[in-house]
Amino acid sequence: MNQAVISCLHANLPAVEAVLKDIELQGITNITCLGDLVGYGPQPNEVIELIKEKKIATCQGCWDEDVVDGLDACDCSYPSQIAERRGHFAHQWTTEKLTKENKDFLANLPYSIRKDECLFVHGSPNSQHEYLLPDMDAFAALERVENAKAEILFCGHTHQPYIRELANGSISVKVKNSGSKDIQKKEMNLPMRRIVNAGSVGEPRHGGTKATYVVYNDITNDVKIREVEYDIELTCKAIINAGLPPIFAWRLKNGFEFAERAEDASHFCER
Amino acid sequence: MIERWALISGLKGDLDTYELIQKDLKKTPGNITLFVLGDMIGPEKNCNKLLHRLINPKSNDLQPWCIYGWWEEQILLESGYRGNQRAEALRINKGEEVVKSLINAVDKSFLDWIAALQFGFVELDCGLIHGSSKDVGDDLTLDTPPLTLLDRLTRLQVNRLFTARSTQQFHLELTEGILNSEVHDLTGNHKKEQKVPQKAVIGVGAGKNYTLYDVGTDNTQFVRAGYQSEKKKNGFGLHF
Ligand SMILES: [Zn+2]
Ligand SMILES: [Zn+2]
Repeated sequence: MNQAVISCLHANLPAVEAVLKDIELQGITNITCLGDLVGYGPQPNEVIELIKEKKIATCQGCWDEDVVDGLDACDCSYPSQIAERRGHFAHQWTTEKLTKENKDFLANLPYSIRKDECLFVHGSPNSQHEYLLPDMDAFAALERVENAKAEILFCGHTHQPYIRELANGSISVKVKNSGSKDIQKKEMNLPMRRIVNAGSVGEPRHGGTKATYVVYNDITNDVKIREVEYDIELTCKAIINAGLPPIFAWRLKNGFEFAERAEDASHFCER
Repeated sequence: MIERWALISGLKGDLDTYELIQKDLKKTPGNITLFVLGDMIGPEKNCNKLLHRLINPKSNDLQPWCIYGWWEEQILLESGYRGNQRAEALRINKGEEVVKSLINAVDKSFLDWIAALQFGFVELDCGLIHGSSKDVGDDLTLDTPPLTLLDRLTRLQVNRLFTARSTQQFHLELTEGILNSEVHDLTGNHKKEQKVPQKAVIGVGAGKNYTLYDVGTDNTQFVRAGYQSEKKKNGFGLHF
């Protein structure tokens, strides 16, 4: 059966509506959301209410967590101080706009959702803030899926949709200086695992301007990336009217990403 | 002269053991650097004398290079150095008594020094850390899945990781690894075969058990404090 996985809605209501319509047109009723309902965009309450109304299973994103708990992302995840200030401003704006009820809703979202062999998370099984980029070290990527005891890991957070298959792996280890005479050596085969990044509905960063999400068929194991057009102008106007940084609108219109850039997971933060 | 590292951990206030190790190292050939990979403190003993000695080495002591460990993290948590968090994991696992004993074992005047300790050192292509770069409490052993070990090495971008949290002594080499990765995105398919260069994780031990590492030859020697007097019996020297 086909199921849809969406992520990073970022308070962009026209994009969310367009994607939900696209999902409905395919007759798909099983939808999972990987969080970041808010942040950057102008309609945080409206997006949360739509997700609640449609009863879409959702895990907590980095923005959802930060809006509730205070800023948690390490500052080093911002490429510049200007980007950081903009991010903090959007954070504060969102915190002020959200109703108490909607904040509670975000606070109570689970970190992960498990369905059979699939695990759904926002960033990685370790943290809502960890980026699993498509070119991340393959062994480290496999470790994330294996450690989470899943076969397919669905994540978002990078805003770049991709499907990554990790296969035919093996590792050989040798115990050196064990005290016993025989050198213990063994080779182990690694299991085949997949990581599926659902991209972003409300803040695409894959180069294009369309909203992205994925459709997974749990019988054929097929995953498809979908791109959906939406009324970008409408969101851009709302961003300007809300007094949010105009670059957020410019970014949506141009499909470029000059602000918050994803960091590799091997990025070492001592926070 | 041969460059050699001495890696110790888990002294937990035991000045006698520290003095025994200092004595050993004076007799050990080579140019030795002494690293103390955390857990200088613990709840069992009063730790003030050892801390004083680490901060103010005697004139003939090898200078100790210290990082913080799991017990240091607990006292910093409990003493309010980590915002609103407290040492809840310790409290739940070991009880209120142990939390109290830890607080009583360390004079408050040492807390700022402990708080200023580094999380780890990166020397050459080696990471020296109490647990791992993921967590100070990360308990790496011979039985940890190799994928996890590789991940911890990758996070620090090192080829060798010296860890102390498990208190075990081991030298595990990841000799070979291969993994095929195929990424499909909106621009197409990208295939890559990834190989791992040789890497290693070394458990340095705790208390009287410590590790000597010969930087030039990549050999480890697992030692028990006072080994010099026992060295003939144990055949020490074979690895160098
Ligand atoms: Zn996001
Ligand atoms: Zn995110």
